[in-house]
Amino acid sequence: MKPFITTSLRLLLYLILIAPLLLFIAYGFSTRWFFPAPFPAEWTTSTFDRALNDSRTLTGLRDGLTIAVIVSVLSLLLAFPAARVMGLRQFKGQQLAWLLLFLPTVVPPLAIGMGLNILFLQLGLAGTIFGVVLAHLIPTLPYTIFTLSSAFARYDENFEHQALALGASPLQIFVNVTLRMMTPSLVVATLFAFLISWSQYLLTLLIGGGKIITLPILLFAAASGGNPSTIGIKSLLFVLPPVLVIAFTARELTRHGEDIREQY
Amino acid sequence: MTHIQITSLHKTYPNASTPVLKDFSLSINDGEMVALLGPSGTGKSTLLKLIAGIEQPDSGDIYFDGESILQTEPNKRGAVLMFQKSYLFPFLNVEENIGFGLKMQGVSSETIQAEVKRMLNLIGLPGIEKRKVGQLSGGEGQRVALARALVTQPKLLMLDEPLSSLDTSVRINLQAAIREIQRELGITTIFVTHDLSEAMAMSDRMAILLDGEVTAYDKPDVLFHRPPCVRSAKFVGVDLFLEGESSGGWLDAAEVGRVRLKDESKVGRSVYAIRPEHIRIQKEEIENSLRGMVQSCLLEYKTTASGSEWSKKVIP
Repeated sequence: MKPFITTSLRLLLYLILIAPLLLFIAYGFSTRWFFPAPFPAEWTTSTFDRALNDSRTLTGLRDGLTIAVIVSVLSLLLAFPAARVMGLRQFKGQQLAWLLLFLPTVVPPLAIGMGLNILFLQLGLAGTIFGVVLAHLIPTLPYTIFTLSSAFARYDENFEHQALALGASPLQIFVNVTLRMMTPSLVVATLFAFLISWSQYLLTLLIGGGKIITLPILLFAAASGGNPSTIGIKSLLFVLPPVLVIAFTARELTRHGEDIREQY
Repeated sequence: MTHIQITSLHKTYPNASTPVLKDFSLSINDGEMVALLGPSGTGKSTLLKLIAGIEQPDSGDIYFDGESILQTEPNKRGAVLMFQKSYLFPFLNVEENIGFGLKMQGVSSETIQAEVKRMLNLIGLPGIEKRKVGQLSGGEGQRVALARALVTQPKLLMLDEPLSSLDTSVRINLQAAIREIQRELGITTIFVTHDLSEAMAMSDRMAILLDGEVTAYDKPDVLFHRPPCVRSAKFVGVDLFLEGESSGGWLDAAEVGRVRLKDESKVGRSVYAIRPEHIRIQKEEIENSLRGMVQSCLLEYKTTASGSEWSKKVIP
């Protein structure tokens, strides 16, 4: 009875997760699907072909991916030292430091965006990829810092001391010990940064000023247009990179998770 | 083979009111194994961290063969640490763990393989090169950690309570093994422990460290039978002291009266420590007998470790 229940629950979970995707596929690859017909009357790839040949969509895909990748890398570079100190050390004013680091998650993005827009216009960063990247770092950094600092709180520096005593230089220790030990958390932190940046709408719109177009902006435009096929295809294109990233990182996580379980 | 000289080492951690090491000095001969014995929090581990370069002393110096090492980068000092936990890298297998230090020094992979094999034979675990560290038992993990430390041919091996997390039988076995290997390689070793019997079983000399200071430093049997001060005596298991004036082979102790002394040369105010195993309970009153009543009895037994199968392999 127990295995039956767990299997059923698991299948139900898969269904809930996959149902929206099935709906997008059904809408994106069909025409003339009217209520109360349970399935589309006709299947076609014309909307998909059109999207693939649409320069705006391709630019949105390219710019969105570029921004998300740069944001992920920068987030890690900035979050890593901060998280190490926050996770491993205790110092006066640490609570205040946490508050400052987490402020972007409670301040409304509209307030941040409007303020940044004025500043970036003055600095000439508005409407540039770099400007959008900087803006995206605001919502991504708290999550990457939190993910990495909780990993550092469980991290034992004696692994590094051991490597030092065995003759490894600080750089060798960083590459061969610290990064290897932190890989699962780095993967999760990268995943967060990528997903948050990839799905950013408001900050991209405000800082990009219509010059930087990413897929969420096109998706919002398509959603207000009301064509189910276009919405379906653009939604699929929007979902595809995160799904690939998660699929890749899940495999990595399982591999490193085993190593960690063996140690403890 | 390295002679270690530590002079007037002083260390206070930031935000701490009292120093963890006060004017700490110690001299360790070539190939000697010195046990550093003391309760928790007396600066034993701090001393090892200072030698390894993980922490910096406030003052004092550490010399390897007459040369100060404080200005030497920690990874070039040749002082290897082994902790209570094995700290084997979980993402590497046994062979990669043992070869880690050599790989960092740029040694060729063929040499590393040969050295790892030699080390595994030495620690009595041949053929486990490809095993994951998660599949090792506690004792095996510590043996591999020992091999990883020894393969780099360090000037000084520092063992920070490496056996305290192991079962008694495994611990006794490993005590013997570490001692045999240390003797065979002639490597200067500092062994930190809070366990008196372990320190006595393993060391050539024993230093008692109390509140950041060395209160006694001598051969284990000397420290055990003739501790130089009351604090050290208490630490080696004495809790009965007689204090009074000695002269002409007699001690006038205020609490118990006159007691006959073996050493007739002692004159003046002195304190005598009486080891519990030297007290004999009997009905008749004779010289040096004190009247008393037995209030409770505890059954205690001692085991003596003999050569194990493993240690026989090391020393043919």
